[in-house]
Amino acid sequence: MCSPQSRDSVIFDSVTIRHGKRTILDSISVIFKEGEITGILGPNGAGKTNLLHAIMGLRKPVSGKIVVLGKTIPPTSAELRERIGIVFQDTALYEELTVKENLQFTASLYNITSRSERISQVMELLGIKDRENDAIATLSGGYKRRVAIARSLLHQPELLVIDEPTLGVDVETRHVIWSHLRLLRKQGITVVVSTNYLDEAIALCDVVVVLRNGRIVITDTPNGLVERAGACIDVECNDSDMGAIAKLTQGIEGIIRIEPTASGLTVFYRGGTLEDQIVARLFEHNRMRGYRVRGADLAEIFRSLEQTEV
Amino acid sequence: MSGSTRQNQLAFIAGFRAEWIQLFRASGFLVLVTIQAISFLLLVSLFALTGSRAPLAVICSDTGPYGLAFVNALSSTHHSFDIHQMSSNSANNALHAGTVVAILHVPPDFSESVLFGKTISIRVDVDNIDTDMTEDIQRALPSAIVRFGRQLRLPNIRAHVEEHDLIDHDTGFIPYLVVSGLVLDAFVLSALLSAMAVAHEFEVKTVRYLIVSPINPLVPLTGRAAAAAIASVCTLLLPVSIVLLGFKVRPLHPVEALSNLIACTAIFSSVGVALGALVKRTVPLTALIVGISLPLYLCSGSLEPARLDGPRVWFVAHFSPVYYAVGIMEKAFHGFSVTPESTSVNAIALVGWAVGAIALARYIVKRQLP
Repeated sequence: MCSPQSRDSVIFDSVTIRHGKRTILDSISVIFKEGEITGILGPNGAGKTNLLHAIMGLRKPVSGKIVVLGKTIPPTSAELRERIGIVFQDTALYEELTVKENLQFTASLYNITSRSERISQVMELLGIKDRENDAIATLSGGYKRRVAIARSLLHQPELLVIDEPTLGVDVETRHVIWSHLRLLRKQGITVVVSTNYLDEAIALCDVVVVLRNGRIVITDTPNGLVERAGACIDVECNDSDMGAIAKLTQGIEGIIRIEPTASGLTVFYRGGTLEDQIVARLFEHNRMRGYRVRGADLAEIFRSLEQTEV
Repeated sequence: MSGSTRQNQLAFIAGFRAEWIQLFRASGFLVLVTIQAISFLLLVSLFALTGSRAPLAVICSDTGPYGLAFVNALSSTHHSFDIHQMSSNSANNALHAGTVVAILHVPPDFSESVLFGKTISIRVDVDNIDTDMTEDIQRALPSAIVRFGRQLRLPNIRAHVEEHDLIDHDTGFIPYLVVSGLVLDAFVLSALLSAMAVAHEFEVKTVRYLIVSPINPLVPLTGRAAAAAIASVCTLLLPVSIVLLGFKVRPLHPVEALSNLIACTAIFSSVGVALGALVKRTVPLTALIVGISLPLYLCSGSLEPARLDGPRVWFVAHFSPVYYAVGIMEKAFHGFSVTPESTSVNAIALVGWAVGAIALARYIVKRQLP
């Protein structure tokens, strides 16, 4: 049970949502704090988009309670919807209209005063002013996403919900979007993003919520999450040597698990000082062709969380 | 003006404007839809052209005074044939080549038989692929003989047909058809444009954005449908011009005709909105709307008054707005009463249909919103 605080923008209290007979969110309890960026992580089909849609009142819970900006939903009142901005995964822009026309359309729905000034302002902010007269159909994926974000900010929402903010965009645009989201956080806006990228979660989020099969696996800071999964060493070797190399690491305190890979095996461990000790032990076997030390990727984190959960 | 009324107005205008811009940016689509409407108009006039102008060869072997007079009488009799006088060889070749539907032989002793009051035997060779054509010939011949006898005041031709017309003027099949064809065009244009406007919102998922906005999503969608309806009226002007200037068919009551077309646009646009929300995909909609337009048109008294199509078709026709619309249209253009219901009853039925269609469209769109 979550107890509401004044800084809580969104509260999910034991929320279960079904789609037909399938449970898409299962007893979710989580709080998104005001002025924070919360990342929703999880493999495909984990329920990330459904969770975001639930915040917008597009999914109705069969049990539990959702409180958004102090109002229990659904239904979402017009007054509440005016305080929320959303960017859908597929942008949902009118392709035949220009950037400016799309923003003008939105401005009419939200009855925005000083419309032209505000439209210019958000276009400048997202770096799309130079393409204002271009039809959406002619823009790249990155520009479309910037337009979708600009549209969601037109009415100056208190809560911004973004489904995959940098899906299919180039590196430069990713950084533009990230820096803008950080700016929003500075302005006290609560941002909830779903993402499939670990680097995005680390770069952006204050808190991450990991979902799997509609349930929360863990809520942590991005760094905490990485630490839980540990670091890893990829070892390149022949299949015949894998057993012997794996044996070498036996007895080292802090090794979480060893996984075979296409080119050898990966040793997962916890604790920064362990790296030298493992590498030294691996060198004892002269059949090792090479090694690489790196952080765990998102799939490996999900796997490690699964194992923890089991 | 309250804030919410103002906001609704802005949202309606925004939806209207967006649709208008989209329609004109995708002008190719608008052109294609207009071409479709015109081709439907030509299609229905072809029903008449093929039926009323079937080529008929006449071989006149009589050199006497009456043979040619009979051929002329036949030409001036109202029937479904385009008469060509030919030599025996050419006519036979044409019949076997399929370029004429029948050969009518005026025998060498035709004048003599007329003069002496003998029974005249007229041979007809028919390509009886279509019994309708054969029956047309059977009907045309006695009329021609009657007219011929009347013109020449021949005492020995005793047949006498007294014709009483219900309508004080004759109207060709094409003028009849193109008028009802305008109703078909109104259906195709209005239903297609408004269905596309709504289905497009669902297809590209922009409708979700309307749902999460503070406005009732039906307001901008109504704006879109209104823009599509106005675009249909504008595009309908082209087929109307073709009827007025090309076919030279002028309405006796232009205001009635125009009001009827506007009512049709409102009804068919609403039907289109409902279909668009149900199907949610633009490509199958085109096939669906074109697919339902012709049966709807043909069973609604478009080719002839529906009451002449048998009690079942006539009963079914009462459930179609096209039936009432064609009734008003034929009255407005030609003064015909093709429905037993009066124009006022037809108008009330159409208004009822318009109100019902708008309510149905609203209900279906609301239900289909995610």
